[in-house]
Amino acid sequence: MLIRMASHRPSTRSGGVDSMKAALESREQNKATARILTVLSSFASSIGEFGISELSQHLGMTKNMVFRAIKTLVEQDYIVRDPSGQRYQLGFRVLELQNMFSPEPTFRTLCAPYIEQIFELTGETVSLMVQAMDFCVFIDGIETRKPGVWRLPIGALRTLHTVASGHLILSSLADAAIDAYIARHVGESTDGAPPLDADALWADIRLIRQRGYATMLRHSALPMLSAAFPIWDAENHLHGVMSVGGPNERFAPVFAASLPRLIAIVESLSQRTRLYSANAPGAELTL
Amino acid sequence: MKPRKRAAINSSATHVFEVLRTVADDTEPAGVSEISRRLGLTGSSVFRALTTLEATGYVSRYRNMPQFELGMMPYLLNRALLNRFELNAAARPFLREMVDETGETVSLSVRLGWYSLRVSGIFGSRDIYHRDRLGELAPLHESLAGRAILAFLPDGAVAQLWRFVENPAPPGDDLAAAMAAAREAKFLTEALPMSPGFAAIAMPVRDGEGAAIAAMTINGPVYPSEKIPALLAIRDRLESLIRAAPKRFVSPFAHIPADQIKLRIDKQTLAI
Repeated sequence: MLIRMASHRPSTRSGGVDSMKAALESREQNKATARILTVLSSFASSIGEFGISELSQHLGMTKNMVFRAIKTLVEQDYIVRDPSGQRYQLGFRVLELQNMFSPEPTFRTLCAPYIEQIFELTGETVSLMVQAMDFCVFIDGIETRKPGVWRLPIGALRTLHTVASGHLILSSLADAAIDAYIARHVGESTDGAPPLDADALWADIRLIRQRGYATMLRHSALPMLSAAFPIWDAENHLHGVMSVGGPNERFAPVFAASLPRLIAIVESLSQRTRLYSANAPGAELTL
Repeated sequence: MKPRKRAAINSSATHVFEVLRTVADDTEPAGVSEISRRLGLTGSSVFRALTTLEATGYVSRYRNMPQFELGMMPYLLNRALLNRFELNAAARPFLREMVDETGETVSLSVRLGWYSLRVSGIFGSRDIYHRDRLGELAPLHESLAGRAILAFLPDGAVAQLWRFVENPAPPGDDLAAAMAAAREAKFLTEALPMSPGFAAIAMPVRDGEGAAIAAMTINGPVYPSEKIPALLAIRDRLESLIRAAPKRFVSPFAHIPADQIKLRIDKQTLAI
């Protein structure tokens, strides 16, 4: 028995070390493979070509790690050198990674993870809106669990001059189109908002164009603050708007503290949506 | 890094891409055992690969089940690749004009080595339309758009293509006749079984030297009709744009010899 135990124990220890070593190696290989996929993912953007240093800076990996990942991807034709031979671009083999039976991402599925990120960051209600003529339409979002909530059912319509998202949409239009909108709605008061004041609207549009996002404080019984950020398409048109808002007293300090992060999240989303043209009647085959 | 370790990582990456391509090829979401059986890999290798692919957005679980389908990332990569062709964005207003003229779905396919690749399209205004998928790929002789490109390539292109596809039989008379007819008519037609007596058409889009770099396809009953001259005129204006800025419209893969661009085309990805 003792002999058996004695002969057994060292082999177990040796097996343990070996299996630990194998597990560590396997984990190391998984990490390296994940890095390769992460490097490839960087090319899923409207920026066409990258150098090693740019990727290293962008991904926070060492140049050596990036170089090794690129080398593997080039060997498999998922990445190719550009005509100058100095930079790298997506390779043709990526075309093998598609499934003609699966639906392509839609605007809502592209935005969904970013809606969650903004909700996690702020804890307030997040809304995704698109334009439909003189209205913005609520198409997706997450409602806060805190008290004091804007309740928006899917498909809810708001005239453009009454909400921050609408001001942002108006700011993306040509000046003549904004004037035409104002002519159609001047003095109109809907959704409990004050009547449309052309001068005030133009002042807000100039501010939005300057800083790239919209805010609106609604002086209701519970003053509500909302902020809206643009989501761009391939042709530099507005795809839609991501907004977040809540009671001013609660949301204002959160908004001030998280503004740079909010801008970064929406810009990261636009990197993806810029691959597509905005959905419009007679527009592209998908999305 | 030690060569042995590097080889292990390469082999692990190869397995991951094999698993990813299997998921991409499947018509139905597949599980670990199905994928490992098909690839001859151990279940644990496939499981590890799927875990890495899921964490990086390349595959996702199908309805929370232990089955996997393509995630968002491959679609984004493909879209980014299609956008690399300058002709994609530049042709869009012209495609739109053709939709306005015919009401049919219109698409643009570019030449990629010895393949045609659909990079852009605009839906028609009819209730029933052909849902052409972007990214569809076919050897030049196997799609209408591809044949429209092939007919307007320099002499000898068909023979080169035949060598590339390793086809032991010489190209048939049918293909040669279709190429000659296309050069004569300046476009190609394809009968539409759903619209007897009518055909879809594909028009080559040529560079300054007269070689086709792409084709515009109207996938509806547009031939014969009095609209053909107007459609050719729209195509001519796109060609003028290309001749005015030839460098801008060079394929992002033009620096790679056509014979080196080899793609595995599953039957599901063949252009219809």
